[in-house]
Amino acid sequence: MFKGTIHKKTALALVVGLVIMLILPNIIPRFYVYLIASILVMALLAMSLNLVVGFGGLFQFHHGVFYGVGAYAIALLLTKTTLPKWICFISAPFAAALAGLIIGLICIRLSKLYFAMIQISLGSLLWALAFRWYGFTGGDDGIHGISMPAALSGVSNSYYFILIIFVLCIIALFLILKSPFGSTLQAARDNEQRCEAIGIFVKRHQLFGIVIASFFAGVAGVLFVVLEGSVFPDLLFWTLSLEILIMCLLGGWFTFAGPIIGAAIMLSLRTSIGIHTEYWTLILGIILALVIFFLPQGVWGYIQEKLKLRKEAVAERGR
Amino acid sequence: MDIASTYGLSEIALQLLVGLSRSMILFIIAAGLSLILGVLRVPNVAHGSLYMIGAFAAYTVNTVVGGAAGFWLSLILAPLFVALLSLIAERALFCHLYEREHLMLLLFTFSLMLILGDMVKLFWGVDYKSVTAPEALKGAVMIFGLPFPKYNLFLLIIGPIVGFGLWLFVSKTRIGKISKAASVDRMMVGALGINVSWVFCIAFVVGCFLAGLGGALVAPTMGITLGMDHTIIMEAFLIVVIGGLGNIWGALVGALIFGITHSLGVLFLPQFAIIFPYLAVVIVLMIWPRGLLKSVW
Amino acid sequence: MLRVENLINSFGDFKAVNGANLTVENGEIVAVIGPNGAGKTTLFNLITGHLKPDSGRILFKGEDISGLPPYTICKKGIARSFQLLNIFPRLTVFENVQVAVLSQHNRSLNLFRPARNMLIEETNRILKSVGLLDKANEIAGSFSHGDQKILEIAIALGNEPEFLILDEPTAGMSPEETTATMGLVKRLTVEQGLTLLFCEHDIDIVFSTADRIMVMQQGKTIIEGTPDEVRKNEQVQQAYIGGD
Repeated sequence: MFKGTIHKKTALALVVGLVIMLILPNIIPRFYVYLIASILVMALLAMSLNLVVGFGGLFQFHHGVFYGVGAYAIALLLTKTTLPKWICFISAPFAAALAGLIIGLICIRLSKLYFAMIQISLGSLLWALAFRWYGFTGGDDGIHGISMPAALSGVSNSYYFILIIFVLCIIALFLILKSPFGSTLQAARDNEQRCEAIGIFVKRHQLFGIVIASFFAGVAGVLFVVLEGSVFPDLLFWTLSLEILIMCLLGGWFTFAGPIIGAAIMLSLRTSIGIHTEYWTLILGIILALVIFFLPQGVWGYIQEKLKLRKEAVAERGR
Repeated sequence: MDIASTYGLSEIALQLLVGLSRSMILFIIAAGLSLILGVLRVPNVAHGSLYMIGAFAAYTVNTVVGGAAGFWLSLILAPLFVALLSLIAERALFCHLYEREHLMLLLFTFSLMLILGDMVKLFWGVDYKSVTAPEALKGAVMIFGLPFPKYNLFLLIIGPIVGFGLWLFVSKTRIGKISKAASVDRMMVGALGINVSWVFCIAFVVGCFLAGLGGALVAPTMGITLGMDHTIIMEAFLIVVIGGLGNIWGALVGALIFGITHSLGVLFLPQFAIIFPYLAVVIVLMIWPRGLLKSVW
Repeated sequence: MLRVENLINSFGDFKAVNGANLTVENGEIVAVIGPNGAGKTTLFNLITGHLKPDSGRILFKGEDISGLPPYTICKKGIARSFQLLNIFPRLTVFENVQVAVLSQHNRSLNLFRPARNMLIEETNRILKSVGLLDKANEIAGSFSHGDQKILEIAIALGNEPEFLILDEPTAGMSPEETTATMGLVKRLTVEQGLTLLFCEHDIDIVFSTADRIMVMQQGKTIIEGTPDEVRKNEQVQQAYIGGD
């Protein structure tokens, strides 16, 4: 399945990394375990966004909606119904994918900024509904104290669950990007006209991409609920969507691992700086501005460029 | 629920007037946003922050000068202050980014929003601030046999005045006409030997002035708090989009739709009042995805 | 195989194509020539579905394809290259052609198997036939203009077309590159049994490669005929030499 897609060295590094991640809860304080779990959730969300923005070229400016839908779906299913827990867990991402299909169908007829604006307005409508519907969604308080199955309660257990799901999703996303669908999506990003000329119904492929991305965003939403035990309307608010965009920018739009790096940087900084000052937003704004001016390819993108240049220099010298 | 028996015609008419007066503020802010969007092609996410700064600055002027004079002065000084800030931001930072893609520009204005938001926290603190209207505008007049706040009447007058002034600026002054041309074809304007960069700067500053004015006008009607920027920018953007990108009359139409549907919401389903405008926006966009009036792009 | 009947297409008041007629038989090489602005590219855009005609018909193998979207027309067996470079600059040469091959084999929605391992033979075969096999792993955007134009043609070939349309395939090339490219095109046409329709500004190329020529001026077809017939035709001489 993976033949020819990863280098042996990278694969080895990943396995080692995974082993380290598995033993972490035993060696570091609980707070850091919680932090890493949060990073994994955000990283998954950012990765799902990058599928359609970085690799698909779509102006998905309110991706947070699908995250929120996934989170609210599982929260509502767990608290308002008596369905078996595992059904709730499985249905929530599909609910998010359904939202992706509906919203995607509406947005896909348009391009660029109009695509973004319709998505933002639809998302805002959902936010407004969640915000005000005290009876159903808990209004601006949200829903709290959602009980998790015993296997998932507690920071360590939820961490393991999140880690496993995260790894599975990343593998899936990796395969998708390397698949013919992934190639086609990227080709459509670069040159939609040419794609149509070679027989590809671009809009259908893009819609498919949106649905897949929404599914994974929904998974991230479920993981959020596992970790926090609650949901709030903030999950559906547009500022979260912009934050995920920032994570992708910070890490690097056109790289695979970029969003993970971006999420890690942003959440770590927020926690560490947040301890010293209440002006984290100011610092984030400055960092963002600096990245836009000086590092638009993102941290990981920059590193990858440097590595490539070094490889080429070595090859040159070898000749 | 029988609306006719719960509310008389006068109640409904009055509520519509209230909605209309709120639309005036939305119009002023959205017009500024539309101007910037039309000329610079930049969705200015920081517009809401400038509105918020306008409100806080108005609070300061009101507190320092006090009385009626304070209020009228704040209507001039607060927007000017915001315009000054925007001038600095544009010349120092913005103008270097015009060649980049829209997404980058948008994210940059988002970074400005984050920075400005915290600057407000730094200078004015986290407490709720309030401004009272001057004596002349306190109280209510009787319309349709029901009390209508004098301040809202004031808004109903100010709105069209600002709109008229903006129209004069865009159609009659040289700068305004150039801005309009630049929004449609910036290369042509540049080819005519006009310094496009300054045109952008002026359009940006005027747009931001309007945001500040909106903030100063809204100050007596609601609590001035952090977080004002988040909600208003969403509403302003939606208004601009349903009106037609870059179209100032469109901003008026959009603001009217937004304000009136909101007041209708307050009448019929108060708990869900804010959903009405969002729903209206969605419906409009489904039928006219490019906005109701012609967009400049 | 292809018949264009009285095609009209306007942009507002401007009639870019105003009564174009064309017939291309199976296995022929036909060229469209005409002064700048004659409507050649617009005609091609109409045939491949990038534009919808106002009136007139386009028949491919007897079927009316006017107004169908480009991806449907492509699946019917027509492929084209573009006048202004239209490749995928961020992908490698191999990936550029492979996207077309994947589309042709209806694999573009496949999710879970690496594309890398699919349809390698077919893609390499095409790359080999145009002489780009040794550069397969380079990023397309970094190539010379001439090589990118050849890549354009290779991408079109990825769709295993029966009918190939080339829009100014040698534009911007040096004389050596031009001769080499046209030689390549002619060879491929014969080898793969393609029917070829192209347009060019270089008259020598046209006269030496095409079986028949269609001349356009101001959106209208002036004449369709063999190179000799066209050469002798007075209207054509007027269009090219007389006037401006």
